Amino acid sequence: MAAASTAAAGAATPTPAAPAAPVQVPRGQVDLVDFIDWTGVECLNQDSSHSITNALKQIVRDDEGLYLASDSDEQLLIYIPFMQVVKLHSALFKGPEEEGPKTVKLFSNKEHMGFSNVNDYPPSDTLDLSTDHLAENKPATLKYVKFQNVRSLTIFIEDNQSGSDVTKIHKIALYGTTVDTTNMKDLKKIEEH
Amino acid sequence: ATMICIDNSEWMRNGDYAPSRFQAQADAVNLICGAKTQSNPENTVGVMTMAGKGVRVLVTPTSDLGKILACMHGLEVGAEANLAAAIQVAQLALKHRQNKRQQQRIIAFIGSPVKYDKKILETIGKKLKKNNVSLDIVDFGESDDEKPEKLEALIAAVNSSDSSHIVHVPPGENALSDVLLSTPIFTGEEGGSGFAASAAAAAATGASGFEFGVDPNVDPELALALRLSMEEERARQEAIAKKAAEDTSNTENKDHASSSNIDSVMAEAEPASNAAADDKKEQPKDDDDLLQQALAMSMEGGASGSAAAADAAMAEAGAVDPDLALALQMSVQDANMSSDSDMSKVFEDRSFVTSILNSLPGVDPNDPSVKDLLASLHSQGEAHKAIGDLSALAVFTLGRGICLNS
Repeated sequence: MAAASTAAAGAATPTPAAPAAPVQVPRGQVDLVDFIDWTGVECLNQDSSHSITNALKQIVRDDEGLYLASDSDEQLLIYIPFMQVVKLHSALFKGPEEEGPKTVKLFSNKEHMGFSNVNDYPPSDTLDLSTDHLAENKPATLKYVKFQNVRSLTIFIEDNQSGSDVTKIHKIALYGTTVDTTNMKDLKKIEEH
Repeated sequence: ATMICIDNSEWMRNGDYAPSRFQAQADAVNLICGAKTQSNPENTVGVMTMAGKGVRVLVTPTSDLGKILACMHGLEVGAEANLAAAIQVAQLALKHRQNKRQQQRIIAFIGSPVKYDKKILETIGKKLKKNNVSLDIVDFGESDDEKPEKLEALIAAVNSSDSSHIVHVPPGENALSDVLLSTPIFTGEEGGSGFAASAAAAAATGASGFEFGVDPNVDPELALALRLSMEEERARQEAIAKKAAEDTSNTENKDHASSSNIDSVMAEAEPASNAAADDKKEQPKDDDDLLQQALAMSMEGGASGSAAAADAAMAEAGAVDPDLALALQMSVQDANMSSDSDMSKVFEDRSFVTSILNSLPGVDPNDPSVKDLLASLHSQGEAHKAIGDLSALAVFTLGRGICLNS
């Protein structure tokens, strides 16, 4: 665990807000974007022209011009189901200095939460992001033990760096590993002798 | 998943919507429930009151139409509507819907005055938007100055990508439900449900918004046929009116003798049944020759009146009666016309004329204008036209007869 996080810290290039800045995936982890079940992804209070896919999807999330923005107020509630059970290791948030997210609460395996009941459950983890986190492509490590068996993740963004009415997020990336469940594609017919 | 908020406050006793506001509202609610449940079997609808005994949920969102209709019975009218509380309760009811993947929608019937500020309504709207709830408002009943604005502001705050709508229904003849049928509240995002369309058709047979009482959706060919025949009739009437106007103007100014007019109209007329006329005139049966002669005549004779009259008659295409009437009139008025002796004798036989007129399609001998002309015709003894089978041709030959004989 320590080795993974130092590797991430050491390899991260400190060029702020450069789209070409390479992200060092923590050792032994994969980018879980491939395992996201896109049909179930929901985001409450998003601005319809700046939607969650801008922040999550592979190609668009690296484009600085496309971002996720909040609508009525600064809070956002993102629900991400996975196709497989995964273990979450770290999460990366990238956003502008002022309107980027600050307090981020993560809930594992809680379906269909609303703004009214986010505070009813204790979060699996809480991240307090600084501007460094947002600028430097540095994934924030999560409490690994709490995210061993994750089917779906709910991300509640409570406020942003400057307290403005709109929260903007350029990119959200999740790193972790899959639990060893059967990958149906690998199933092959046993050859007859 | 939809929650319908019913306004059953004291304001609903008013009778400006037949039979009473409350009853009209109840009919509309029943219709909406039916439309929703029928358009998709998974749709759920719930009903709650905003006034009466208080803000209460009568039935939680369900797809069972019977249950929904049953709960509408025995509702009492009274007290005042509490819109803010009602919307909160509706939100809660929607939050606990069985199928979390359904879209959340609130339909609010607001018939009593709105006592909240715009600000408060906007906050309510924002909260709905934040939770991804759409809102439809039916604004009816009481209307003070600010109510429509306030409600529009509420919808503007809730609206995201045109999923929320507001309908203002003023009191009047049309039932509340009929007015709602054509609104997006019914047609919704699916782009029209079968139920709504058929209900619209049924309602359209009476005092309908559709032309000719036929819904183009239901029977497009019939609607099209009706529309075409209406237009034809209208064109015919216009032509008649125009000719009547031209009649009077032509008898006054007889100065335009453009042979080109004659040309074009003569070219149009069917030469086939010229024979009858030609025989009597003892002229060559060839159209062109007759045409030449007519032209020559009209040039030489300087009987501009006749030529003009012929022009007018022949320049008019279309209706039968006016042509004939006009020609008759012209022939009567032009004193220079001498009649072909044979023809005049023929026409002086009144019964013969009548019988021939009867045989003409579209000419009604009982038509007063025709009758008058016939009378004047015989009194002056100057009838000199041939009446062919085609009335248009009759005009043509009439005109020619006039030219040739002048």
